[in-house]
Amino acid sequence: MSSPTLSPAPAAPGAPLTKKALTADHPTWCPGCGDFAVLAAFYRVLERLQYPQESIVTMAGIGCSSRFPYFVNTHGGHFIHGRSLPFSAAVSLGRDDLHVFVFGGDGDGFSIGGNHLVHTARKNVRLTYVIMDNSVYGLTKKQTSPTSPIGFKSKTDPTGAIDQPINPMRTLVNSGATFVARSHATQVNHMIEMMEKAARHDGFSVVEILSECVEFYEGAFDAGNPRKGGKFELVENHDPKDLEAAFRLANEAWPGRFGIFYDSPRPTKNALEKGLIAKARERTKGASDLELLQASFRKAR
Amino acid sequence: MRGLVIGIAGASSDGITAAGESLINAFAQEGYFATLSTNPGTQIRGGDVFCRVRVSTDPVLNSGGLLDLAVVLDWENFSQLSGELSVGPETVVVYDRRSGLTASALPLGGVRPAAAVAVPVAEIAIHAGAPTQARESVVLGLLSAWLRLPQKRVLEALVSRHKAGGDPSPKTYQKAFADAVAYAKEHPLGRAIALDPAAPPEGKRRVADGNEMCARAALFSGCKFFSGYPITPASEIMQYLQREIWKYGGSCLQAEDEIAAAAAVIGASYAGTKAMTATSGPGFSLQTEVLGLASAVELPMVCVNVQRGGPSTGMPTTQEQADLFAATFSSHGDTVRPVLAPTSVADSFDVTVEAFNIAEQYQTPVVVLTDRELAQCKAVLEPIEPSQFRVVDRLEPTKAELKRYARFQITDAGISPISHPGMRGGNYLAAGLEHDEKGAPTASGEIHAQMTRKRLNKLNPLKLRKDLFLFEGDLDAHIGLVSWGNVSGIAREAVRMARAKGVKVKLLVPRLLYPVAETIYEDFFATLRRCVVVEQSHQGQLHRLLRMWTQTPREFMSVSKSGANRITPEEIVRLIQAMEQPATDRFRSHYCDLLNVI
Repeated sequence: MSSPTLSPAPAAPGAPLTKKALTADHPTWCPGCGDFAVLAAFYRVLERLQYPQESIVTMAGIGCSSRFPYFVNTHGGHFIHGRSLPFSAAVSLGRDDLHVFVFGGDGDGFSIGGNHLVHTARKNVRLTYVIMDNSVYGLTKKQTSPTSPIGFKSKTDPTGAIDQPINPMRTLVNSGATFVARSHATQVNHMIEMMEKAARHDGFSVVEILSECVEFYEGAFDAGNPRKGGKFELVENHDPKDLEAAFRLANEAWPGRFGIFYDSPRPTKNALEKGLIAKARERTKGASDLELLQASFRKAR
Repeated sequence: MRGLVIGIAGASSDGITAAGESLINAFAQEGYFATLSTNPGTQIRGGDVFCRVRVSTDPVLNSGGLLDLAVVLDWENFSQLSGELSVGPETVVVYDRRSGLTASALPLGGVRPAAAVAVPVAEIAIHAGAPTQARESVVLGLLSAWLRLPQKRVLEALVSRHKAGGDPSPKTYQKAFADAVAYAKEHPLGRAIALDPAAPPEGKRRVADGNEMCARAALFSGCKFFSGYPITPASEIMQYLQREIWKYGGSCLQAEDEIAAAAAVIGASYAGTKAMTATSGPGFSLQTEVLGLASAVELPMVCVNVQRGGPSTGMPTTQEQADLFAATFSSHGDTVRPVLAPTSVADSFDVTVEAFNIAEQYQTPVVVLTDRELAQCKAVLEPIEPSQFRVVDRLEPTKAELKRYARFQITDAGISPISHPGMRGGNYLAAGLEHDEKGAPTASGEIHAQMTRKRLNKLNPLKLRKDLFLFEGDLDAHIGLVSWGNVSGIAREAVRMARAKGVKVKLLVPRLLYPVAETIYEDFFATLRRCVVVEQSHQGQLHRLLRMWTQTPREFMSVSKSGANRITPEEIVRLIQAMEQPATDRFRSHYCDLLNVI
């Protein structure tokens, strides 16, 4: 960790939100880490979106990628491992004025927090979740992750991983998320496009970004990088509302395609809860908390 | 305050719980105080069921010891219930003639009751036309005639309950009720079991259980977010809030597990909302990492742990006070979180309001340790007077403070204003990593020591809060008791009984269990030669905690019983009497099973 620096003052009221105002602590990632590009893309997304700075909330769990919020000058949280989604969901619920972004890695998303991913997604809580998948545990210095391929040698699998890895896209499509996209950290413009669309999506949006760990899993995603002899093939001629087609995309052979796999809005939990509150308040004719409480005793048999 | 203790036991189709509810509602309307403890059993259908009603003209401090009247509809599981429904030589036993047992052959473990009366409960029910549903009505008819309860009231309570249940034909149970009343009048109990007439209540009294009172307290305190995961015996808190909180503009989130529930609660709190979760032992174990995070980021949250028998799945439907160590110490690191415990159903409201206040004022997670008995026991309560309670809100930064905002600023009181998303200039990172005043991560030993001191010292004023302790008895007594939670109600009655017999004794009941208020205990201990901590855990967890933190009297003992074994006021009176005697071997060891001492 570098020595802490103070956050700069927020952008002057009315002034456009720029990367300069959004930059906080200097990133602590290793030189060459894919996460730098994700951060750069995120600044650009926020510049495009021009949300009020105080309405942006940047959250994370634990891991290299989860250091993300330290580098963004917004409200935010660095939560415990795996639980950043329920934490962030409760920040979003009831706060229409906020824009909640959650960053994490493959450990947070698919291992310790796997169940939270499914439930936050199916509830369609309005937030954007960016998974920076490097297929290795980097912060703890090279152990097998849930997306490490069979045969991957790590400190916990010295003779090579033997367990079937998670297929991230199949998991995400299956989770009930209403927006699912995939990108590659070497494709900055594509990342910006995916993250911006995710942010503008009214519901639970998730972007899986292949982000290489140069220290512990070099070359992991070369197959999707034209500069390393791979192919960066976009999703084309695909109906993003077609769930079965999304599964077919997710099942394509490595390195698969990049783009929006699924985008099919349905009512958010935020909106549904707002409806419940409005209905309940209508029934009680806007009674004060104390009147309601007294009435609850009157009803007691 | 002895009043009457009535126990009803049967199989799960007998409507035992329903009969108990009708009784307590009728008592409440007549101006009596009463408690109703029920145990619906661990099986959804079948298995043993009982209820215990204690009624008195004075406030009822606990659900009592030996039964005055035992009504037994089914003997099959009765022996398993002997810990909860104890029959003594003063007890009148009424049982269903259907069992075919003679009075001398009842399976009462060698106890000879004052009387044993066979009554044709099933026959009356069958005659009324609905054997299964009507059995509770028969029991209520018999009791209202024998106890000279206004039949109209009991019937009203019965009818309103059936209406709520959507029962279309009230005729059957009304006939069963009337036939039972007629039978009871023709067959008066050989031994008088009568109630003193109650004075009409001043305000309208209500019946509620501890879980409901916790939930109401949350709403009263301004809690606008609840998240939980169903678990016995805490689910009723979530169920109540799921019905009510929307009217208050709040929301209730049924989470995928208890970890998510606690995480969501701290998320809501981060966003500026008062928030609570409620669970029992297994869920509490899961939540401890989040509680640690809450301590680290100094955000308010309330966690109610309705204790049940443990460890592990343990005994989900029984009473125990064995989560004190867990509430106090679980979660890693050098930190302290306040732990409070209500002492009665009514106190569940007061203590939960206080938990929110402490959480908000000191920016800390607070654990409320209730227990199965308080949580699911119904009691007749005086109306709540809201003006008696204060509601504290967290300190927020001023506009000037937001210009150079430091979330974890070191202050004299250790409390620094909390900003929330949406506050311009107030952005900071709520981080589990150790941080400096601005929230930036640090590995500095100096800053870690400074922040640890901040987080611990800010709680010191709590240790002077005498209002979080109850006291009863003679100030200068040489013998004294300490007790907490549900058991304290038993100890309070015992101390009153012993003092009525001329024994000088006093009792201290902490509602704040942690941090340990050393000086309050030491002031109490000052006159004592012998002190016993009475509680419901094999290890005597409060006793051990006090030995760790306070200068205890020379003879300082734990006298306890494991969960699911009822402690009675009479037993504690015998304990107090034993404490008056010169020291014997049994008082020389620190730990003792209650029954070994008396």
